[in-house]
This record gives sequence, structure tokens and C-alpha cells, in this order.
Amino acid sequence: MAFHPIPGPASEPGSVAFPSLVYVQGNDQRSITLDHTPFTVGRKVDKDLVVPDPRVSRDHALILSEDGEFYVVDQGSKHGTFVNGERVQRQKLQRNDRLEFGVRDVAYIIFHPMHATSNTAREFLSQISGIHISTETTDLEKLTLFLEAARKLNTVGVLDEILVTLIDVTLKLTRAERGYIFLKDEQGKLHLGAGRNYKGEPLLDDKTISHSTLDEAMRANSEFLITDTSQSLDLAGRQSIVAFDLRTVICIPLRKPQVQTTRGTEVPLATPPTAELLGALYVDSRFASRDITSVSNDILRAIATEAASLIENARLVQAEEAARRYQQELSIAASIQQKLMAVTIPEVPFAKLRGRNLSCKEIGGDFFDAVNTDDGLAVVLADVSGKGVSAALLANTLQGMIYSQLTAGMPLPEIVAAANRFFTHKHIGEKYATLIIARIRRDGELEYVNCGHIPPLLVCNQEVIRPAHGNLPVGLLADATYESDRCSLHPGDRLVLVTDGVTEAENARGDFFEDSRLEAVAAKSSTLEDIFSAVANFCGGTPLNDDCTVVELLYTG
Amino acid sequence: MTLKIETRTADGITVVSCNGRIVFGEEATALRDTLKKLLGSTKRILLNLAGVTYIDSGGLGTLVGVYSSARSAGADIKLIGLGQRLRDVLQITKLATVFEVYDNEQQALAAFQRGAA
Repeated sequence: MAFHPIPGPASEPGSVAFPSLVYVQGNDQRSITLDHTPFTVGRKVDKDLVVPDPRVSRDHALILSEDGEFYVVDQGSKHGTFVNGERVQRQKLQRNDRLEFGVRDVAYIIFHPMHATSNTAREFLSQISGIHISTETTDLEKLTLFLEAARKLNTVGVLDEILVTLIDVTLKLTRAERGYIFLKDEQGKLHLGAGRNYKGEPLLDDKTISHSTLDEAMRANSEFLITDTSQSLDLAGRQSIVAFDLRTVICIPLRKPQVQTTRGTEVPLATPPTAELLGALYVDSRFASRDITSVSNDILRAIATEAASLIENARLVQAEEAARRYQQELSIAASIQQKLMAVTIPEVPFAKLRGRNLSCKEIGGDFFDAVNTDDGLAVVLADVSGKGVSAALLANTLQGMIYSQLTAGMPLPEIVAAANRFFTHKHIGEKYATLIIARIRRDGELEYVNCGHIPPLLVCNQEVIRPAHGNLPVGLLADATYESDRCSLHPGDRLVLVTDGVTEAENARGDFFEDSRLEAVAAKSSTLEDIFSAVANFCGGTPLNDDCTVVELLYTG
Repeated sequence: MTLKIETRTADGITVVSCNGRIVFGEEATALRDTLKKLLGSTKRILLNLAGVTYIDSGGLGTLVGVYSSARSAGADIKLIGLGQRLRDVLQITKLATVFEVYDNEQQALAAFQRGAA
């Protein structure tokens, strides 16, 4: 049986053969794989990247590769080539470099963007926000641009960095004194995600905020909540507001964005108040300092919408990273599993054993094993129900149990009874295995136990015998009992074991290979290859649904 | 999803008809969930498998699993409509003796009535 590691996403730093380019033009963004060099940029239509702008020269620039490094080379353009804002003739490229060609701020390339690490994420965010906002842009537009760019580029990997940046921006826009983000955990409880004051210092303690306002905002169906304590006697009575001299509190519930769409330049529609709450953004000011009641509702609404989608996006990125690590773990597990399942066939003078497995795409549950014991050469062929990792896990456990008991010289029926007790006792639930253990002695006596498996083929003088002996599968019913069967082999006799992937191999018409075809080919030929080629011929091009395993034990005497 | 499950009542017995493939994955899960839910309100289920075109090892495991847990909970599941393939599989796996199988719905319903009397 085979366990194929699933290839992880190609975003892992260092493992990528070709760097990627992210081309951003206005609100559009696309990824380009730099799979050949020189990569040409210009206004001419035959360029690899065509930038249709009069300020871009027809042959503007090239990206070259030399000794594994990448360089951008200006081709004598009129308006210049820029790397991170500096005009260059030839420049070695680093990851995350920003390349511009003639047109500043309108269109640019990010060279091989990195999944941001904690110290670069914010730099990168502020870089984007800093560069392409003109002086006439309003605060609201700035925020929208900023958040939109960050979200689209998807380079922000660390949620904390997002939160801090978001608070900083919000404080700047609202001119509030302190800002906090609270995030809901899986149990629905709010936890402090990040806190900052207007000087950019971290605030780790949320005791001095108005929790009643926060709670009210979380319960309310509004997009945001502003409380001005100078206007309301009722509010002034609230403990924290009095104790901490709070004047204005703004609390914005963050709701999960309903549909993720590529938006144009218009202000996004507000998320319906029924949407799932992710947390809340809280800012306040004290009496003694700033007045923040004059903040425009548009800004608050934009923050509410964009902040929520930014956080949701950051969470998705985090989940992706976790999934990537999980994939790595899984491929390590897969390689261990493959080593466990590798069979070294023991050499004995009286018998020859061969086995072959043809894996289908999905991970199957077939395995076979061979053990030389004092009582003869033992062979195990099993098919664990189901597919995937769960089947592989069970196959490993079963293999280990059987191996150790075979080497300990246990009788075959006791080995399978013990495995059955173990599986049913552990309540693995609907997982079971059909298996055959056969053991041949030097004198030709064959003992085998069949647990719900396809009957073995006993080939004596080109005649195929299918013994009727059988027991229940292992792992289905706790009270199952097991018996073995015996027969005597003569030199030249063969025992052929298969899994149901062979007999149930389908052709294009949906017919199965069936026992009859298997018996016919097994009678004629003593090579496994002939059986596999008969299956392949029968199937035509139809792919296998299940692993096919064939094991042949030849008694030579 | 390649399995359609329909439920009706005949003579006070819940008849569950399966059409399609009972295979490891969402099909087997759907069958298990349907039967488990029904077993919350009835102790007698007639499972009609006449429309089942294929049952794989995972599907068989589900069938046995639900069957034996229903049994141990004092419920009764009878099977009808077993195709030749399923009969073969039950024969190979020696599970034919585990299930209570009838040729048609009338016989199975009659058996339920006898059991209840």
C-alpha cells in the first residue's frame, strides 16, 4: 500500500523554482510567474508585461537572471525604471522590491512577495499606504486604499501586526487617544487582541475602558456606537466613564464580511448587522484631551467594514499557514509510513514469495508483509476498509500487531482474534480489515486463516482451487471467532492472494475484472506481471478505484 | 453524492430505500446519519437496498456498524433487495449470517409483525 504525500502549496520561501511577480494597476492585481528570462516590460504589445501608458517606453526594461539572482535593467527608457522609489539602470532584486516603470504610483510590480514575517508586515503595509496616496486624498480614501491594498496583496501573515496597524490608522483618522481591538474566541468570549495609544505605545491592559459600552456595542445592531458623556447624564453614571474621566467612546462591532468580492472604487456596502461578530474596535478619549465626537460617520462605517474584512482575511492567511505546516507534518508521517510498510521478503530454501502493489491515486488501505518464523514462512495480506490517512493508521497498527505475534510464534487464529478484540475494544467505529495470514512449513504444510478476504487461489498443476474456508473480517464484531484451515502443497504449487482492487478493477463499461478472469490468468501464468497486465488490458484506460495487491507464494520443496 | 435515501412508513415500520452507491465518504455518512436519526424514534427499520448499484468496503463497514449498534440498543433492522454482488460480498466476508435478510417487503413486514406479536 502506498501513502502519497500531498504536495504543499508552492508558497514556501526557498522552495519555489521561479519567483512570482505581483502586478498591481489601480484596483487590479494579478500574479505573474517569472518562468523565463529575460522578462520584458514595455508598451509594445509583444512584451511579457505590457503597460499601455504613454509614459512607459516601448522597450522599457528587462528582468534578467544571472547566477540565480534577478536583476532589473532599464532599456534607456524616457521616464525611468524605479526600485523602491529610486531610479535605477541595473539593480539586483530582493524579495518584496517594488518596481515601477515610468508611471509612478499608478502601476507597479512587487517582486516575489514574501508571506510577511512580523517585522516586515507593518513596514510593507505602511510602504503601500505611504506611496500611492496623493495629497488631495481624504482620510477616508486613505483608509480604504490602505486596507484594500493590504487585503489584496495578501502578504500580511501575522494577525497581531494587522491589529496594531489597524489601531494606528483608526487613531489617526478619529484623533482618539486610545484604541483597542477585541476578538471573539471560539467560545464567543471577547479577548483583548491589541491596544495602542496615539503615541504608538502598546496598551496591554483594558481595565480602564468602558466595558459597558463595549458590551452594548456587541449587543446592538448598529454599525458603530458613539457615546459622548458630556451629552448624557445616564452615561455619566457608568462606573468606568466616571472613574477614568472618559469623554468620548467609539465602539465598532466587527462583523464577518458576507461575500468576498473584488470591489471597485466605490465605498463598500455595509455588512448586515446580522452577520457573525468577529470582535470589536474600541477607541476613546478623556475629557482633558481630545474631542473625537466630530469624526464623520462615513469614516467609522468604512473602518467597520474594512477592518472586519481585513481581520477575516488575516485569519484566513493564518489558517492557510497552519494548513501548510500540517501538510509538512503529514508528509513526514507519510515517509515514516512508507518505511514501515516496506517489505523485505525473507529468503527461504523451500519457497519463493513475491508481492506487488499498484496504488491508485487515493491512499488505500492495502498492505502485505512477510515474516520468517520458526514455524515457516508467513505472509500477510490485508485490506483495511476505507481510504486515506485513517485507513493508513489502522493498517500500520494491524501490521505491527500481526508482525509481533507472528514472530512470537502465536497460532494464527489467536493472532487474528487478538487483533479483532483490539479493534472492536477500541471502538474505532466501522473500520475493519479483511485479511489473510498464510504460513508455509518446510514440509509443504500450509496453514492459513481467512478473515472476510477474497478466497485465495490455490494453483496446482494449472488447476485453480478456491477454498471455501473463511471467517468474519477483523474489527467488525466483538464476539467473532476465528478458525484456520490447512492443506498440503506439493513442489510447484502456488498460493495467490489478491485484494478486491484486483477483482473489482473496472473497465470503461463498468464491468469488473471478476474472479473468473483472475482464475484464468493465474492458472496460465506464474508471474505477477501477467496478472497486472491482464488487469491493465481489461481496464483499458479506466483508472483504478482501489489499490491492487497481488502476493504469490510458490512452494519449491 | 451518489446515494439517494428515501423514507416512508408501511404497517408502522419505517422503510428506508437506498438508491445509488453506498461508498466510503459522504454516502456512507449520509446512510449512517439517516439510520441513527430514525433509530431515535423507531425501533424497527426495513432497509431496502434494491436500488444500490455498488457498495464498497467502507459502505459495508457502515452497514455492519449501524446494524450491530442498533441490535445492541434493542432495535431491529431487516434487509431486503440485496443484489447478487452484495450477496457475494456478504458470502465472502461471512457476514451473511449476521444480517437478517428477506426476499421482499411483504415477507419482511410479516416478520416484523410476528416479532411484535
